[in-house]
Amino acid sequence: MKSEELKNQEYKYGFTTDIENIKAPKGLTDETIKFISKIKKEPKWMLDWRLKAFNRLKVLNEPNWQKPKYPKIDYQNLYYYSAPKSLKDKPKTLDEVDPKLIETYNKLGIPLNEQKRLSGVAVDAVFDSVSVATTFKGELDKKGIIFCPISEAIQKHPDLVKKYLGSVIPISDHYFATLNSAVFTDGSFVYIPPNTRCPMELSTYFRINASETGQFERTLIIADKGSYVSYLEGCTAPMRDENQLHAANVELVALDDAEIKYSTVQNWYPGDKDGVGGIYNFVTKRGACRGRNSKISWTQVETGSAITWKYPSCILQGDNSVGEFYSIAITNNHQKADTGTKMIHLGKNTKSKIISKGISAGQADNTYRGLVDIGAKAKNSRNYTQCDSLLMGNKCGAHTVPYIRNKNSSSTIEHEATTSKINEDQLFYCNQRGLNQEEAVSLIVNGFCKEVLQQLPMEFAVEAQKLVSISLEGSVG
Amino acid sequence: MEQLFNIDFKRINSSNDKEAADRKKYFELFLKGGLPNKKNENWKFSDLNYIISKNFKNITNNDEYKFDEKIETIHDFDHNKVILVNGSLKSYDLHFEEKEKVKIKTLKSLEGFHHQSKNNLDYLNKALSIGGFNLEVQENYKCKKPIIIYNYFTANLNNKIINNSNKIKVSQNSELTLIEYNIGEKSKFVKNTFEKINIDKGAVLKNIILQKTKSNGYFYKNISGIQDYNSSYQNFILSSGLKFNKIEIDMILEKEKSSCHILSGLNLSKEEHQEIKTQINHLAPNCKSYQKIKNVLESDSKGVYQGKIFVKDIAQKTDAYQLSKALILNDEAEFNAKPELEIYADDVKCSHGSSSGSIDEEAIHYLMTRGIELREAKKLLIKGFLNEIFDNIPEEKIRTFLEKSIAVQIDEIQ
Repeated sequence: MKSEELKNQEYKYGFTTDIENIKAPKGLTDETIKFISKIKKEPKWMLDWRLKAFNRLKVLNEPNWQKPKYPKIDYQNLYYYSAPKSLKDKPKTLDEVDPKLIETYNKLGIPLNEQKRLSGVAVDAVFDSVSVATTFKGELDKKGIIFCPISEAIQKHPDLVKKYLGSVIPISDHYFATLNSAVFTDGSFVYIPPNTRCPMELSTYFRINASETGQFERTLIIADKGSYVSYLEGCTAPMRDENQLHAANVELVALDDAEIKYSTVQNWYPGDKDGVGGIYNFVTKRGACRGRNSKISWTQVETGSAITWKYPSCILQGDNSVGEFYSIAITNNHQKADTGTKMIHLGKNTKSKIISKGISAGQADNTYRGLVDIGAKAKNSRNYTQCDSLLMGNKCGAHTVPYIRNKNSSSTIEHEATTSKINEDQLFYCNQRGLNQEEAVSLIVNGFCKEVLQQLPMEFAVEAQKLVSISLEGSVG
Repeated sequence: MEQLFNIDFKRINSSNDKEAADRKKYFELFLKGGLPNKKNENWKFSDLNYIISKNFKNITNNDEYKFDEKIETIHDFDHNKVILVNGSLKSYDLHFEEKEKVKIKTLKSLEGFHHQSKNNLDYLNKALSIGGFNLEVQENYKCKKPIIIYNYFTANLNNKIINNSNKIKVSQNSELTLIEYNIGEKSKFVKNTFEKINIDKGAVLKNIILQKTKSNGYFYKNISGIQDYNSSYQNFILSSGLKFNKIEIDMILEKEKSSCHILSGLNLSKEEHQEIKTQINHLAPNCKSYQKIKNVLESDSKGVYQGKIFVKDIAQKTDAYQLSKALILNDEAEFNAKPELEIYADDVKCSHGSSSGSIDEEAIHYLMTRGIELREAKKLLIKGFLNEIFDNIPEEKIRTFLEKSIAVQIDEIQ
């Protein structure tokens, strides 16, 4: 059957680039952390911060309440730092960049070289752990916007980093967040000055390359009073047999009247059709709406990874602040996803909206887990949650685990969830009009996800739409 | 935990030495884990350990079953009577039914209760259970009148704990309406009940749980049941008025075409905390489950709903629905919900909804413009909100009786 062939479609972006790596010694020790800190030329306060996190880590236990279980990770058998050798002395221009790297990016369609001007996207590309090149710096500099690797920010803007790093995800948070605090290698730092609208979408493409390298990015975005920024994060990873741990931390801070829009398309290697290999995507993403009238909006399209386990959250501290979460999670074959959000309402008149679409096919498991908590002081707050699941076949699972807490009489929480399969009538209608089964499914699924897809910036929407179709081809036969 | 519980095993009747030894063993197991607290996912929103430790300093077991006054019976409709005093079967009157068709006797052996323990209260129950009743309706017999269980608690139960266990079996093609009517407002005590239900092929069981007046009781009730082909179970929970009440229902829809309805309308006032936790397991195709939980929360009351629908991969064509709604009337009140779906079959219709908020201002405005006072308007809306639950009760006399008892509660709302 045609659909059967498609079902077993191999991962399209599975290729590796041969570049010699510098690696930290294997294992998680004080020495590893000191090594990372030294190679990053970090000041002492940063090293102390890392060590503090590491001390905390020693008393923490890995959480085990989640639905997708995974084999025990041997943290002593991982490399915590690896950098492409050719970057030992950072390149000044693109010409100095290893052409093989550029080739990889081109295969991925990253607009880094010629395409950068056409697409208008400033890219801070992270290849493994070190930022390779940052483009469009000039234009951003003019507006006073800081967009650089976090390792650079630690040296150049220590006051900002000191003030905000760990203020949303403290070093005493859960196991994986604390692990990240101890060993994070690089990531992006964004600061938007007051009353500035960032003129372009900021974007980072992450790529996992070296084998047995856990990637620990750290992203920190600060939108000062009255500013706006839209940030894109997208991932594809090469094919690999061993499971790779990815524990990133993303912290967002929105001050008075500021808005941050954070979009993710995640398409890491999900393992083969028998569930061998694949990335463990255990990410901590949290945003704080600190100021009045601030807004944070998360959009995610999660199609890859063997296990996706993350809950991008909003802490709505400021009065009138708004939190949004739009998510599509697609799991196929043996993939597992346990994702959702937390909306914590603390300020008055705060609003939040959650739209989650989960699609499972093959033998996959897809869980929406979310918390809506309206505190006693969050008067006149509102939440609306909708989570829909689509099941294809009876070997997969769809689960919904919402936690709803309402502690005052002037706030309203609404929650709706449905689980169903693709409507036969809709399929029939499409078939009748000459669409084959695959096209019909793709069309219906895209319609199912539309509410989320339309939240993505243009650059991403097209890619995401394609991804949604590719991820599910052949699931209905 | 050992300081809190002061249990005298000599005062519990055991049928043999083995049972006596088992009881001690189970009590040890209970003490090891203690009362469940909020670290336990099932008890996340109702920290029983905290609630009991705060309200009780010393708990002993009860061995007095003396009937100290006449029970005021319900006159609104004809019914059979079963009287329990402090959890123990005292007397019954089933004169509306044919002889030998409905059997009730004291439950002596805890056989059938030895399933795998899900929580520590199960150990506690096995250790201290005084039995309860064993009710059976024979095949092809439809009960003519409902049975009311007058669950009477005496005035001398302060700081005591009652552990009892009941069994209910409705045989093939039989029908029963069972009303549990709790009476006893005076004592401050703990009750821990485990109930087993078997609903055979084509049988129908309707169960209504009602509290007569406000009470100082701290109740936990665990109902677990298995449903056969084309059977129906309906449970109406209207037990407002207790200081603490958690009803945990675990139903297994084992065979095709069975259906399970759980409906609840609770009106909680000062210092009341109620939790309804359900797990509906759809193990066969073509089954239906429907849950509607409504809470009105006043003062500093706390309402919790934890519901889970589990659909096995072969349970195609399942139709499952879960709805929880809360009206929060005071800023001190709190509503927590966790409506959970766990689904492994694709051709199903499963949905849930949950909403919480205050009374619709526009509806109040509408009523006030028509000359109805604010307080009256509020009461009217609350009544409408809760009365929806009764729509599923076809017997008019019972429905009127229930509406009347709810109306009394609503009248107390300020």
